[in-house]
Amino acid sequence: MDNTIRLPENVLAFARLELQKIADELEGIKVVVLATEDGFDIVSAVRDGSDPSRIAAMASSISAISTVVSEEANLGDSKNVIINTVSGFAVMQSIIRNDARLVLNAIANEKAVLAHVIYRTSHFANSLLTL
Amino acid sequence: MKQIKFIFTGPPGAGKTTAIATISEFPPVSTDVFSTDSLSKLKDTTTVAMDFGQITLENGQKIGLYGTPGQRRFKFMWDILIQGGLGLIVLIDNRRPEPFKDLAMYLDNFSEFIEKTDAVIGITCIDIKDTPTLDDYQDFLKERGQIYPSFAIDARNKDDVLFLLNTLLTCLETS
Repeated sequence: MDNTIRLPENVLAFARLELQKIADELEGIKVVVLATEDGFDIVSAVRDGSDPSRIAAMASSISAISTVVSEEANLGDSKNVIINTVSGFAVMQSIIRNDARLVLNAIANEKAVLAHVIYRTSHFANSLLTL
Repeated sequence: MKQIKFIFTGPPGAGKTTAIATISEFPPVSTDVFSTDSLSKLKDTTTVAMDFGQITLENGQKIGLYGTPGQRRFKFMWDILIQGGLGLIVLIDNRRPEPFKDLAMYLDNFSEFIEKTDAVIGITCIDIKDTPTLDDYQDFLKERGQIYPSFAIDARNKDDVLFLLNTLLTCLETS
């Protein structure tokens, strides 16, 4: 099954460039994937052989569960989810554009600095909203 | 009394979310999002993590109702959701191009779980597309050596969904 989302070419070009920059410039990044809310990968930068399609599907499920938890607790819209582990972390950032509902996923090992990754993914998300 | 956990699975659009919502005693937890794949021709949303509802039987027995995402790319959720489960309800949409292939895929992927527990099969939309027939499904299952109860149901009909649940409970009690 293919996804039918067609982001504007300038958005895709920006996403390709920026995700590669995040992967190249931040130490410890394993993979960065921009995916649809329903779990299809659109653009990715992979440094460790991860399968972007699997990461896209998992991020979709986790983001959906975080939305349910946010609603149940009356916490407003879920902005991001962070899974902090003994050997790294995963950050899932929601990006709600007028033409698409997306999730940005960044997975990093213990060499990465969480704050740096959150800053870059949030910055990317905000930029994507203005294009 | 220990709570029973049943899992609803089947292809996208077969009626899993609807079936759980039809019988749950509280508004079900739903993780539906806008669908962007070819499924969106049939329905706007799709489940990406799970559905959760609950029903309490007359004897006080609570049954947790868990729905899986339909697409195989969410198989990791299938493996999570079956943990602690006591039975599987497979819903098959008769309108889809290859419903036997759909059924085989779910029976294969949940085979270890079904071997330890039990399963029932609900065929939806057989009123809209009448082939394959219920007999065809039973023949197909027989050929595979898998004798599971199979019925035509409407996921919006409470009696139909409860009938599936009761059948599964009976299978578990007698196995």
